Amino acid sequence: MSIEALLTALLASTIISSVALTIASLGEAIGESAGLLNLGIEGMMLISGFVGFWAALESNNLWLGFLASIVCGAVAGLIFGGLVVLAQADQVIVGLAMTLAGGGLSGYLFREAYGSNQPLLQGDLGRPLRHLGGGIPVIGPAIIGQKWIVFVTWALVPLVWWLLRRTRFGLEIRAAGERPFAADVAGVDVTRVRLLAAVINGAFSGLAGAALALAELGFFRPGITVGTGFIAIAIAMVGRWDPLRIAIAALLFGLLRSAGTWMQITGVNIRPEFLQMLPYLGVIVAIVILARGTRLPAALGLSYRRGIDRT
Amino acid sequence: MMLSGTRGRVTEATVGLLVSIAAIVIAFAIGALILVISGHHPLAAYQALIDRVSHLTGFSEVIVRAIPLALAASAVLLAVRAGIWNIGIDGQVLVGALACGVMAGKVAGHVPAPLLWIVSAGAAVIVAAAWAGIAGVLRARFGMNEIITTIMLNYVALSLTSWLVKGPLRDPTLVSPQTPLIPRPDRLPTWGTTRVHLGLVVALLIVIGLSVLFRRARFGLELRVIGENPRAARHAMLPVNRLIVLVMLISGALAGLAGANDILSTKGTFQSEWNPQYGFAAFALVFLAQRKPLGIVPAALVLGFLAYGADILPRVANVAPDFFDLLEGLILASLAVVGVAQMRWQRRSAATAPTPAQPAAPSVRETVV
Repeated sequence: MSIEALLTALLASTIISSVALTIASLGEAIGESAGLLNLGIEGMMLISGFVGFWAALESNNLWLGFLASIVCGAVAGLIFGGLVVLAQADQVIVGLAMTLAGGGLSGYLFREAYGSNQPLLQGDLGRPLRHLGGGIPVIGPAIIGQKWIVFVTWALVPLVWWLLRRTRFGLEIRAAGERPFAADVAGVDVTRVRLLAAVINGAFSGLAGAALALAELGFFRPGITVGTGFIAIAIAMVGRWDPLRIAIAALLFGLLRSAGTWMQITGVNIRPEFLQMLPYLGVIVAIVILARGTRLPAALGLSYRRGIDRT
Repeated sequence: MMLSGTRGRVTEATVGLLVSIAAIVIAFAIGALILVISGHHPLAAYQALIDRVSHLTGFSEVIVRAIPLALAASAVLLAVRAGIWNIGIDGQVLVGALACGVMAGKVAGHVPAPLLWIVSAGAAVIVAAAWAGIAGVLRARFGMNEIITTIMLNYVALSLTSWLVKGPLRDPTLVSPQTPLIPRPDRLPTWGTTRVHLGLVVALLIVIGLSVLFRRARFGLELRVIGENPRAARHAMLPVNRLIVLVMLISGALAGLAGANDILSTKGTFQSEWNPQYGFAAFALVFLAQRKPLGIVPAALVLGFLAYGADILPRVANVAPDFFDLLEGLILASLAVVGVAQMRWQRRSAATAPTPAQPAAPSVRETVV
């Protein structure tokens, strides 16, 4: 393999393998900004990924699959929000429960529907800009020629930034995450804002599940997320709830993960299991470095009852 | 005064028991609904499971599965009581199990069996405690949230143990990547014809030990203060950071014991890619036990029952094992929701001695990033 082909492969796999992670992290950043620590993303991604895969396979329409995933994720987010915001149950416990239940349900339904078969999705939604990058080396095939989900993901980055930093709703989200009591006094409906944030967080998890199963891989299998939902929580914190930083952190994580496979192709004699540790160690080191001078949203993990200031 | 105090404790325990039973019933009801929708006969499936368990062989298999879960739950419970979310049980079990397997392989044949158990379980405890200690130090030294670090360390542990057992620690005389198989006579003795083993006694002793710790010992009280009101703990000049590290060390040690239990009893070797994932079940277990050490015993039987169901129902009723993950999740979610009402009831009944409004997740609040 030529250097150019290797670089192209590394870049392309870095980008596509960080897509689901980026989307999930953006969703988690919205939730955490509103004071909701959602440990259930992994389960939400799994159940949405399955539902989208099933819908796409049955209807033979990938768009419908994506839509089903997003709706399923939003419903999962609504359940999470209902339990932690309305019923005021503990966020960590409900999150872990959703990861267990979502993973379990998706695995159960998959085996009910397909047994031990592994159906594959036929075709994909294509690469919209492919013809533009025809003559450009590396960047042409690896970036411009990417699947459309890549561009959707990149479009979501400024969109989420705009939502959180430039809209009234974004301000309300951050107020609900920092000082819910003060926000309430100022006339913000904290319950409504947090519920909406939970639904958006869920819808992003759903899209992330679809990105993985429908766009990146083209199939679903129980446990297919292999921890992406949990890594998203870490990436949201590494990126300090800033969409651009999150996107960069997710790309770096994807690079570290792809680098392992890449080094193997180039014949470097290191066992793959050793390289697989690196991205996770990278996250820990990144947080150690970034931990100084940052703090979590003040009301993260706290439920809010009207009239009681707990921050 | 004393009378009413005793009565209060009895009612609290009764309510806790009712809440746990309600959570199990809710979970099984929703589970039954899902079975019906997907074309199964839930009563037949549940009946098949109960039939199996009502025989000695079936029941003993439930106990076998309950033992490591009880040990892992002890690890979770100790941390939860101190307001620390140790989500890294899985990783701590893995590094502990590997250390145990390696140590047992080194000393097997040279020492009597009881010494082999102690030495290799000791190795598991030390290594797993050190592994969990990383997250403890990062929390105490840098204020890093242990939820994130312990989850990340799980993935590191999975790859690390897999790499070690395939590479540097590989036994070249064996075909598959694993530690040397511990011969049957050197493993924990079993009871009668069943697979129930000495680990049961260890697990029970640890549960009783935890109960005594929280009831009688100063250390137990300090942990409760950190867990319930970290600000007060700092004001009371408790060495909060040292205690956090200590909690993580002990929690990790207990998780390591769960790993050692499997290696020294049912498995006999550490194989790469083996990952029992006790962590999530342990969380469901601890909250089912109402965060009470002695509650771990009945709750472990429930979770052991689910684990056994996941192993046999695919064969007897054609229900995928994932169904039992769903049940665990439903139990945990039900407990979280019903727990809110329960906590309000407790506060109201304890109105004579008012407790300050407690943050739901003090550990999250105390950390940066």
